[in-house]
Amino acid sequence: MKRNVQHRVYLVGLVLLLTLLGCARGMQDLPDVGVDLSIEPDPPQMGPATVTVILTDAEGQPLEGAQMEIEGNMSHAGMVPVLAVARETSPGRYQAELEFTMVGDWFMLVRADLADGRSMERKIDLPAVNEICGDTPEP
Amino acid sequence: MSQVERRFDLLALPVVGQFLAWRHARTAMQLPLLLLAGLVVFDGLFGPQLAPKNLATVLVWVHYRGLVVLALLLAGNLFCMACPFMLVRNLLRRFVHPVRIWPRLLRNKWPAIGLFGLLLFLYELLDLWASPLWTAWLVLGYFGAALLVDGLFRGAPFCKHLCPLGQFNFVSSTLSPLEVQVRDSATCAECTTKDCIRGRPEEAGPGGRLRGCELWLYQPRKSGNMDCTFCLDCAHACPYDNVGLSTRLSGSELWSDPWRSGIGRFSARPDLAALVAVFSFGALLNAFAMVSPVYALEDWLAAALGTSSELPVLAIIFALGLVVAPALLLGGTGWVSRQWAMAAASGDERSSTVPPLWAWVTRHAYALVPMGFGVWLAHYSFHFLTGFWTFVPVAQSFVSDIFGLQLLGAPRWDLAALVPPAWLNPLEWGFLGLGWLGSLLVAYRLADDDDERSPWPVFVPWAVLLSLLFTTGIWLMGQPMEMRGTFLAG
Repeated sequence: MKRNVQHRVYLVGLVLLLTLLGCARGMQDLPDVGVDLSIEPDPPQMGPATVTVILTDAEGQPLEGAQMEIEGNMSHAGMVPVLAVARETSPGRYQAELEFTMVGDWFMLVRADLADGRSMERKIDLPAVNEICGDTPEP
Repeated sequence: MSQVERRFDLLALPVVGQFLAWRHARTAMQLPLLLLAGLVVFDGLFGPQLAPKNLATVLVWVHYRGLVVLALLLAGNLFCMACPFMLVRNLLRRFVHPVRIWPRLLRNKWPAIGLFGLLLFLYELLDLWASPLWTAWLVLGYFGAALLVDGLFRGAPFCKHLCPLGQFNFVSSTLSPLEVQVRDSATCAECTTKDCIRGRPEEAGPGGRLRGCELWLYQPRKSGNMDCTFCLDCAHACPYDNVGLSTRLSGSELWSDPWRSGIGRFSARPDLAALVAVFSFGALLNAFAMVSPVYALEDWLAAALGTSSELPVLAIIFALGLVVAPALLLGGTGWVSRQWAMAAASGDERSSTVPPLWAWVTRHAYALVPMGFGVWLAHYSFHFLTGFWTFVPVAQSFVSDIFGLQLLGAPRWDLAALVPPAWLNPLEWGFLGLGWLGSLLVAYRLADDDDERSPWPVFVPWAVLLSLLFTTGIWLMGQPMEMRGTFLAG
């Protein structure tokens, strides 16, 4: 490969890199929206779980009518996420059923299309999903 | 008399051989990996800081690790051959011409052993597998280190004496089926120019130069794959087309002990033996850090130390796993083996030829390589096979976010495994079993070389150690995986 061709290859690569630097990608969050996530059973464990999300506005009022999807994923690359569409069970309260497929650290992504037309995605860490715990019933 | 052995030579094949014989073949292979490295750095720095959704963590910790061990198993050191760090370094050397020689005191593997151990330690401490940002900085750091070292010193000292990935590849490639080696030793015997190591001017073109081996491996005296990056500079420099990429008996270099160009004798290199030990015990430690019992151990250690910091806890685990355990197990096994060897040879002239303990352990430590590689192969292939297709939705997401294009529709986050889950355990056990058997074979051949009349007293202690490591590997692979990035409870 001639030297001037090599130099052109490097120059094109540099231009491409600089172009890409202007394009960051990431989650779109709405700081004025409150997201309160809880999981049953608590503490979370491997297997079926019920995820409850309460959406509130800046005044603490429930946000009704959102279309919500909940994604559970692990902190390690290479795993399949678990996805569930949440249904609104009461104003601003949304529930979904999903299954934790492995023990370890998970994170939940709450993606919602709000009634006011805005969209959001919020990450909530869920450390230490444990193995199934068999509770001894109280006498 | 000519000694031309009948071997399958990749460089003699049509198309593939012609491509590899092209002096720019390495550059052609390095360019795509440089592009991928660029994507890794870009997405790691600017993409979503979620490991399953970022090209940095997916491509490095799932695909790179899996492909590198499979390439080493099936072919050879292909990733050093296509190393993107060296491509950038070669560009630098168009403008910077180092004259310094790497310091004699550092012309060994001790710096590389330290860096390899440090890399494994930082992998756990910084949860590199869960951090696109740290992964990107690791790649950038690699580029920086390669440029700094090879910008200051002649040859390829970064590859030979420092690069942790390179050391992993060098040790593993002792088991590879392909080796860069001389085709006809008689041709080399008549060669006076030694172009394979000195290089030579180009015969045509603008007056450039064909490099010789930058890792100081003189082809006629080169034996095996240790320290060979498969760069093929020697093949391109040889004016007689007398260097090939040909088949050999995998692992055979571990039990032979000739004087090797650029290396010396394996039996006289305690640093190489230590590298093998860290490689092998590091495999077990790296797998251990992903299963449930390690968190109980960490919690116990933290409580005993009265700390909630991960650093001292991990430091203790790594000191035990990479220093204390190998020293005790190898030293103890070597002592027993040596004692039995001397007892078997007592009253015989052989008893006076038994080497000192340190040399004995050095010589026999190379039997660990197949077992260690088996553990790395089982571990990395697990993640590769279970997460193979995850690059598809991440790439789709990348293209959508950056270019606003739908690449093959919406991201297919349901894609992951390449093989059915039921295949995984048999594959892991198979890789571990192959490693164990390979190690037993090497240990027996080494024992047979020591004393062909009674190899068993030498062999049995090493066989017990290798079986212990094999059992540990089986136990590890049977533990529930529990990937945690957060840490100590109390």
